[in-house]
Amino acid sequence: MIGIEDCLSEVMSIPGALDAILVEPISGMAILAEGLPDSARSAAGLTETFRAALEGIALASPEGTVRIGDMIITTETSHHLIRPIEMVFDGPLLICLRLDLERSNLALARRRLGTIADQLMAK
Amino acid sequence: MAPPTLDAVLTGLADDKATGSLRVGKDGTVYLTRGRVSYVECAATPGVEELLTASGRISAGGVRGVRQASGPEADGGDLLVRKGVVSRGELEFCVLGATLDASFFLLRSGTSRSRFKEGDTHWLGPHWYFDVSGLFRECDRRRARLERAWPSDELDGRPVVPVGRLNGGHVLLTAPQWELVLAADATATAADLARRLGRPAYSTLLAVRELAAAGLLATQAETTEPALPKRTPAKSAGNAPSLPRPPEADATDVNLLIRLRDALEAL
Repeated sequence: MIGIEDCLSEVMSIPGALDAILVEPISGMAILAEGLPDSARSAAGLTETFRAALEGIALASPEGTVRIGDMIITTETSHHLIRPIEMVFDGPLLICLRLDLERSNLALARRRLGTIADQLMAK
Repeated sequence: MAPPTLDAVLTGLADDKATGSLRVGKDGTVYLTRGRVSYVECAATPGVEELLTASGRISAGGVRGVRQASGPEADGGDLLVRKGVVSRGELEFCVLGATLDASFFLLRSGTSRSRFKEGDTHWLGPHWYFDVSGLFRECDRRRARLERAWPSDELDGRPVVPVGRLNGGHVLLTAPQWELVLAADATATAADLARRLGRPAYSTLLAVRELAAAGLLATQAETTEPALPKRTPAKSAGNAPSLPRPPEADATDVNLLIRLRDALEAL
């Protein structure tokens, strides 16, 4: 069982991690960040990315309703991993991690992120 | 001399690395731990207790029990985690969310009368810390976010209801918006709906503004055409005269009331 701060340091220990941030996407707030120069700006951008993906994928799906498990966005330099965790009170909470393109293993990182999310919710 | 502003009082307490509670008028309380804000409660927003019971994780009686069992060292939050009601992460997230929600409404309430009680702690204990300046900054950011969603406070304090007809072919809703649409019944304001749904007041208010901006939510006056109440046939059974049913319409519709009075007088 881990708390929010431990969760972030666990995420940052994933091989190839460049920076990480926990975001509350309803208000667009940065809860905790590491390695980012302007966490408020990053939180706003990631909130917008998540919301746009949710709406776009909902429109593109025959069911018209979706639940995103995780998102992977690859740029020229890095992979962005975004994983929403459903919270009972007001959710979700987004764990966002940026990975070095060359030094990371995407499959491994994705798995580790899932494990860390489970640990955060484990009672 | 005017009393110092809440901002100045809190900044002073932060500089002194104070631990205790600052009661702000009748509206709420700010708890500080060594100069940092560890919890805020506000009469207008659901606290951790209400969020927990609304989520179905624990009964109101269960919360009371834990609260009574928590010792003078304020270990109520740890008890909740040990009993398996919430995980450590969930508790932190819940405290953090409730504190920001309460701060948003309390810190701008305009009340400058406040009283500090040295050493007083909240029964949950500290689980997340905010710098006083950071808390004010986040409140400003949230206010700007609200204005960006819809720059009008028209619906903030009034009962809301979904509009009867979409002006487009389809609509996309987030989960909180969907819950809000289902619960908005023309009797509850954003703050009432937050309590009813067990959601933070700020996110409910934001959802109200987003839905209003999309033309999906209105006050009742805008959605229902004033109409005369339907005649109710007199009851055949029983001799007691049945009481007339009050008309189901907006009481502020003066024209309707005048027409009704005229009709009654003509009887």
